[in-house]
Amino acid sequence: VTLELGEAQLAILVAFFALSAFFAGVFLVVALRSRRELAFEEVRASGYRLRKRWLVVLGAVLASALLASAFFLPYASGGADVTEARVVGGQFYWSLSPSEFRQGERVRFDVTGADVNHGFGIYDPSGHMIGSVQAMPGYHNKLTLTLEQAGRYTIACLEYCGLEHHRMIHEFLVRP
Amino acid sequence: METGSLTLGRRIEVSVAAPGASGRRIGLLFAGTGLALFAVMGLLGLAMRLSQGDVYTLPPTWFYRIMTLHGAGMLVAALLGQMGAMWYAVRSAVPLSAGRALVGYLAIVSGAVLVLVATLVGGFATGWTFLYPLPFFARGAWSTWTTWAFLLGLVAVGAGFMVYCVDLLARLTHRYGTLARTLGLTLLSGRDDDPPPPQVIGATVVAIAGLVSSAAGVTILAAEIGRLIDTNVGIDALWAKNVTYFFGHTYANLIIYLAVGAVYVLVPLFAGRPWKTTKPIVIGWTATLVFVLTAYFHHLYMDFVQPEGLAAIGTISSSAAAIPVLVVTIYTGMMLVWGSRYRWTLASTLLYLGFAGWAIGGAGAVLDSLIPVNFRLHNTLWVPAHFHTYLLLGVMFWVMALLAYFLEQRAGRTTPLGLRVAAMTLMVAGGFGLVAVWYISGALGTPRRYAVQPFGTAGWSLVGSVSALVFAVGFFLYLVALLSLLRVGRPRSQASLRRADQAEPAPEPLPVERPVRKAYELFFLALVMTVAAAAVLPPVVDAAENGVRWHHLDHAALFLAGAAAAFAVVNVGDVWSRLRHGYANLGLALAILAPVVSLLAMTPRFYDSLEGNASLHLGYHLLFFVGMGALTALGASRLGRTPAWMMVFLSTGMGVLYAAGILGG
Repeated sequence: VTLELGEAQLAILVAFFALSAFFAGVFLVVALRSRRELAFEEVRASGYRLRKRWLVVLGAVLASALLASAFFLPYASGGADVTEARVVGGQFYWSLSPSEFRQGERVRFDVTGADVNHGFGIYDPSGHMIGSVQAMPGYHNKLTLTLEQAGRYTIACLEYCGLEHHRMIHEFLVRP
Repeated sequence: METGSLTLGRRIEVSVAAPGASGRRIGLLFAGTGLALFAVMGLLGLAMRLSQGDVYTLPPTWFYRIMTLHGAGMLVAALLGQMGAMWYAVRSAVPLSAGRALVGYLAIVSGAVLVLVATLVGGFATGWTFLYPLPFFARGAWSTWTTWAFLLGLVAVGAGFMVYCVDLLARLTHRYGTLARTLGLTLLSGRDDDPPPPQVIGATVVAIAGLVSSAAGVTILAAEIGRLIDTNVGIDALWAKNVTYFFGHTYANLIIYLAVGAVYVLVPLFAGRPWKTTKPIVIGWTATLVFVLTAYFHHLYMDFVQPEGLAAIGTISSSAAAIPVLVVTIYTGMMLVWGSRYRWTLASTLLYLGFAGWAIGGAGAVLDSLIPVNFRLHNTLWVPAHFHTYLLLGVMFWVMALLAYFLEQRAGRTTPLGLRVAAMTLMVAGGFGLVAVWYISGALGTPRRYAVQPFGTAGWSLVGSVSALVFAVGFFLYLVALLSLLRVGRPRSQASLRRADQAEPAPEPLPVERPVRKAYELFFLALVMTVAAAAVLPPVVDAAENGVRWHHLDHAALFLAGAAAAFAVVNVGDVWSRLRHGYANLGLALAILAPVVSLLAMTPRFYDSLEGNASLHLGYHLLFFVGMGALTALGASRLGRTPAWMMVFLSTGMGVLYAAGILGG
């Protein structure tokens, strides 16, 4: 599969580049203004006033982001029509049972590690990364996802697990 | 071309005292070693990136061992560089022990050598995080001695950093009287007209968090070493991951906060304005201490079995950590520069650029610390993207700035304008190009730590490699710039430097303080001993014999009882007067080693032979663990009140932490 930028990831990337541009702009302006000579008392007085506003703005942005993130947590599990799928990651394979699903099926992946820690990263047929969960020995992490598209999904290991880590790629079919 | 002499400190009178010779020498040694290590590790990084870009093929066996070395080596490089910078910064306010700093340095460098041998010779390739149980699933790629070498190497790094942190904490709390005052908290209640300078407050926070995270690091390392000695030792994988990331994440975080010390001292020299301790700085650092110690949970968001409350703490701490950085430290730095006729030299420009790397990398980190975002970016190339932004383009810029500052100061001038502009332009363009590619690749879902890119992303890797090459050329020009400063020789300004060195106060030996001073502390000790003594009651012993966790917890209680008893005994007047003087270095060694020995002693192979003999078995429990606790407390009591209590709490905490995670044995 060739990787594509998903909608969520595009939004994250745009947000990051916007923030970076904002910071770069601020640093550029401050650097340009450094050539002037102003009394520090004046700079400090107006700087402290501006800082209070900056604190409010930054606090509001962070609080909003945190609050919004609470509505999109990946931890919800279960529901009525959920197909159970058992996933085991081992050096250097994935075993998935059942190994085929239907389009639109809601699947609860019960993921564990047979030996060391692995990462169950899942990509849809269009190459969008749609989520991940850890495969840890001795534990069962349950990830519930709806398989929206028909076609070949790809599992890639997202926790470094040894010399063939990059070969832990597995595909499964979702029928229309 | 600028050739005029530097007018460092041109409008500063008393607020910023430039550190003297020992500060510069220690700073130079640490930062110089850090930069040399950085250069070598950087070349290894470039080798990996070129291989991912299909320019040539690095076999996976070599890719992953180089990856492990690159991670551990870069961490040590940045840590050493910034330890030197903080030492230098603090030395301007409080005399520190150069001997202790050198012991810490030697321990860390020898740890780095062990890691080098383990990876390059032994083929050790678990990634620098040695996430349990991977070191024990080598599948023939590395052998047991290799794992020993790597784990002992990291123990040496942890122990070296502990020595450094204990010395900072001891000297600073002694100078300012109490921990609260050293953290600047008395300023908040209006009871302090002369608070410590900001670098002292930052150093105290780093020392506390450094000791806590080192204790956790030594615990997981001791557990894995126990597993090497005896395969019956079972370790809970979730516990191991928590402790490993608490150690690893906190260390990586502390490197940045260490760096701030030098920034507090150097930026004022170029801006001609003082960086004074204010209430926001105190609040910011106190909050940072909490955030640094609780943010690591974001590494376990995708372990759904971890309680969600911990993920919530992680996401709140990780986001909130941005506030002290952006509203206090960076903002104040910008205020100092604004309209100051800032003197743009090689050093001061790198200092300034470091702020940008910190802010932009921080933005990438905060975004990834939101749980739904992490769900899409966890262990993708977004992760190296954000930490390279603030480590390479923040922290390493500051290490470079410190070295450039030393040489500018020595030469009395800065480098030719064209050379430094070229060096910095290439480093900024190449560095941000390198990380931008990683951010994009991360958003695409490209997994990190892949020797071969299976999803057709080699093109992006090639762009990243070219960017890294551009950075490398810029770095080379930076080295040329340093050489140009070295060639200038020792100009007239050296006379004034030498005078300042001669006036530098030598650190006095610390007077040993009674660990217990107040009635409630004595009451607390009595209470601890009473509770801990319950460890020998028959029902508790029976329960302990039936469960490994309870058994180990029992050991921790015995250890604590011994430590509390030793504290009480050394406090008695007669004993105190005999013990009061000296043995500080022996005490420090005991306080670090005794807890480690007691953890290792819980490996079944060591005590199995005692099981058949009731009196030996009882002795092992009563005398050994109580004795180790007592030795730890005796050693700690040589270090001053705050470090003494801290080391006793931490060593007992190590025992409790060990009990929580060890299953077999």
